[in-house]
Amino acid sequence: MKRILALLLTALMVFALAACGGTNDPKDTGKTPDTKAGDDTQQSGGELAGTYDIVVWVAENAVELTKTQIAKFNETNTDGIKINATVEPVSEADAGTNMVTDVEAGGDIFCFAQDQFARLVLANALAKLGTNAASIVKEANAAGVVAAATAGDELYAYPLTADNGYFMYYDKSVIPEADIDSLEKLVADCEAANKYFSMELNTSAWYLASFFFATGCVSEWTTDADGNFISVNDTFDSPEGLIAVKGMEKLIKSPMHLSSSKGTEFASGAAIVVTGTWDYEAVKEILGDNMGVADLPSFEVDGKEYHMGSFNGCKLMGVKPQTDAVKQAALHKLAQYLTGEECQMERFEALSWGPANLADQASEKVQSNPGLAALLAQSPYSVPQGQIHGSWWDIAKVIGDDVKAATDEAGLQAALDNYKAKIEELFKLDSSALLFVGAWNDWNNADDADTYYLVKADDGTYSLTLDVPESDYMGGRIVNPGKWDNDKGFAQVTTGVELVKDLGDDNPDNNIVFVEAGNYTVTWDGTAVTIVKN
Amino acid sequence: MNNTVKSPKRHMGLARSRAISNTVIHIVLVIISIIWLIPFVFILLQSFRCESAYQVGYVVPQQWGFDNYVSLWNSNFPKWYLNTFIIALVNAVAQTVIVLCMSYALSRFRFKLRKALMRFMLVLGFFPGMLTMIILYRVLKDIGLTQAHAVPGLILVYIASSGMGYYVSKGFFDTLPKSLDEAARVDGATRFQILRKIILPLSKPIVIYTILTAFMAPWGDFVFARYISFENSAGMNVAVGMYNWLNLDQITTKYTMFCAGGVIVAVPVTILFLCLQKYYVEGVTGGAVKG
Repeated sequence: MKRILALLLTALMVFALAACGGTNDPKDTGKTPDTKAGDDTQQSGGELAGTYDIVVWVAENAVELTKTQIAKFNETNTDGIKINATVEPVSEADAGTNMVTDVEAGGDIFCFAQDQFARLVLANALAKLGTNAASIVKEANAAGVVAAATAGDELYAYPLTADNGYFMYYDKSVIPEADIDSLEKLVADCEAANKYFSMELNTSAWYLASFFFATGCVSEWTTDADGNFISVNDTFDSPEGLIAVKGMEKLIKSPMHLSSSKGTEFASGAAIVVTGTWDYEAVKEILGDNMGVADLPSFEVDGKEYHMGSFNGCKLMGVKPQTDAVKQAALHKLAQYLTGEECQMERFEALSWGPANLADQASEKVQSNPGLAALLAQSPYSVPQGQIHGSWWDIAKVIGDDVKAATDEAGLQAALDNYKAKIEELFKLDSSALLFVGAWNDWNNADDADTYYLVKADDGTYSLTLDVPESDYMGGRIVNPGKWDNDKGFAQVTTGVELVKDLGDDNPDNNIVFVEAGNYTVTWDGTAVTIVKN
Repeated sequence: MNNTVKSPKRHMGLARSRAISNTVIHIVLVIISIIWLIPFVFILLQSFRCESAYQVGYVVPQQWGFDNYVSLWNSNFPKWYLNTFIIALVNAVAQTVIVLCMSYALSRFRFKLRKALMRFMLVLGFFPGMLTMIILYRVLKDIGLTQAHAVPGLILVYIASSGMGYYVSKGFFDTLPKSLDEAARVDGATRFQILRKIILPLSKPIVIYTILTAFMAPWGDFVFARYISFENSAGMNVAVGMYNWLNLDQITTKYTMFCAGGVIVAVPVTILFLCLQKYYVEGVTGGAVKG
C-alpha cells in the first residue's frame, strides 16, 4: 500500500514539474508580453507601436555600434516602435548553422555570410520581405548583393555589406612594385627573400576558385523558390580547368607557399597574404607604411596570361519569421533601418565594412579607402557569389591538396575528374528530383527505386511511363522526394484531362485520379502536366 | 671466498651502469617534460604580451603588462567564469553526496535486484552521453532551462546521471571490513551514522577523488554547454565563451586575451590539484584493490 502511494506521489510530482515547465516557457522566451503588445496595437488601428523584446545576432566588433543604431532607431522611427534589444555577438559564419539547429531559439534579427542563405531559406529561418520593402532594397543596393538575397523571385534578406571578397596585401619592403602583376615573379621574390606567399589553397574552396575563375570556368547553381538546388552549370573539369590547376601548381608547389588567409601572417614571416578587408587594420598595424594592397596577379600558362579571379560576396541581415505578424512588421522596419544608407555608412566608418548601398559606394570616403579600392580593382575579375550548394565547399577544397600531390598532367586531370564525379553525385537523388507517388507505389515518397521517378529529358521536361493497376482509388501526384507538395497535380493537367476524374472539393490534395487502369505517360514541363494513354 | 674478492668489482660495475641508465632516463624525462610544458609556458607568456593582440611568430613578449587581464575583466569573461564556477561547485557537492550514498548502499545493503540494477547501470554506461544531446536540449528548452537560464540546466545535466559513477568508490568501500559496520550497529549507530563517522573518515582519498572529478567535468565541458547556452552570452561557461573569440573575425583582436583567459581558467584547477594530489593518486588506485 505504502509503495503504491509513493509511486503515485512520485508520478504526481513529475506531472507537476512538467506542468510548471509548460506555463513558464512562454514567459521565459518573452513571447507573452510581445503578443499582448501586438494585439493591443492591432485593435487600436493596425499600428506597429509597442515595445518589443528581441535578440539581435551580429559580429562581435559590431555589437556596440548596433546597440547605438538601435537606440537611434527607437528615437527616430515614426511608427512608435520601441525595440528592447539584447545584442549577442555571434559570428556571421556560425549564424546560419545556429539558426538551422533551433530556429525558435535563434536571434530575431541575425547577420550571416551569404553562403548560408539557401540553407536558411530551406529551414524557414528567413521572413520574406514585403513588396514595398523589397523594391526599396533592390533599388538602393548593388545588384550582385540583391541577387544573393533572392530565392526564386522573392527577396529574403537585407544587404549588409558588399565586401566579402579577397585581394592581395604585400610587404613593400620585400616585393618590388613592378612585380605585383605577375604570379611567377611574386613567387620568385618570396623564394628569394625566404618569405611566405600566403594564400589558403589547401583548405578553402573560396580562395582556390580564384584560379578557375581566371581561365573562365564557372560553377553556377540555381535554386527554386524554396531554396532547393535544381541544377548546376559547372565547368571546372574542362581544358580551361586544366590550365587553372597548372597555374595553381606554380604557387602551391613552391616551398614558400603557406596555406593561410590570416593577415597576421605578416608578423610571422609572410611577404604576401591574400585576404579581405576584414584584415585591413591588423595588417596596417604590422606593416605600417610598408603595407601595399593590390588586385590579384596574373599567371602564365602556354604563353597566355590569365588574371586571377575571385569571389565577390556579401553579408546579409535576416529577420526570423515570427508568430506575431505585428512584431514581424516591426522587425522588418528595424532591419530596413539597420541596413539603410546611413547605417551602412556608419559601419564603414567604424569598422571599414564595405557598403552594399549604391549611394554609399559612390561616396568619396569609400572610394578613397585603400582596401576597398583594391577590392574595386579586383572586381572586374571577380564573380558574384550567387547561391552555391553547401557541399560544394567541401568537394572543391580538396582540389588544392590533389594538385599539390599530382606529379604530372594526368595527376592534375585526375584531381578534376574526382571533383566532377562528386558534383554529379550531389544530383543523383536529391530534393530536386520528381517522383510520381500514389496508389501504384503505396504513396512512398521516400522511394529509392527508379521505377516511379520522372526522367529529365534534354528539353528540360520530366516524364514517366507507368502502369496504373486497378484499384478503388487510382490517384497520386508528382512530388519532390520526402515532400508532400501539391502543386503538381490535377489542377495542372492541361492535356489528357479526359483521362482523369474531376473530384472537385473531394480532392483537397490536388491528386491526379485516373478514370481507368492502364499504361500512361505523364510529363511535367515546369508548369503543366500532360497525360497520354498508351 | 672468491665472492668477497669479486663483489666490489661487480658492485662498481652495477653502480656505474645504474648511474648511466639513470642519466639517460633523466635526460629523456627532462626532454619530455619540456615538450609537455612548452604550450603552457607559451600561453602564459602570450597572456602578458601588450604590443599586439594577434598571433605572432615569436614567444617572448616585447612589451610586458597586464592589459589582457584588464580587458578580460571588462569583457563578459567574469560572468562566464562565475557561471562555470557555480556549475562546478554545485556539481562537486551534489555529485559527491549522490555518488557516496550510492556506493555505500550498493556496497553494504543487500536488497532485491541489487545485482540487476548494477548490471543495468553498467550497460547504460556503455552508451555515450552525447547520444542524448538532442533530446536533452529539447527537454531543457521546454522547461525553460536553456540560453539565459543555462546554468541550472547544465547543473541538472551533470548531476542527473552521477549515480552511475559509483564503481571506484564502491570498490573501495568493499575493502573496508564489514565487521566495523556490524560493531557500530551493535552499539546502536544508524546506517547514516556509520557512513558519516566510520566509512567516510576511512576513505578520505576516495571522497577527495570524487570531489575532484565532479568539479573537473563541468569545468572543462564544451559540447553540452555550447548547445544549452545556445549563443546566449548570459548562459555561457568559459569554454564556450572563449571559443567564440577564436572566430576569424575576432582572433586578430582577442588572441592574447584568449591566452590570459586560459591562464585564469587553469588557476583554480592547478591549486586544487597541488593541494589534493596525494589523495588523488590514492583515490584512483584505491578502488582497484578489490572490485
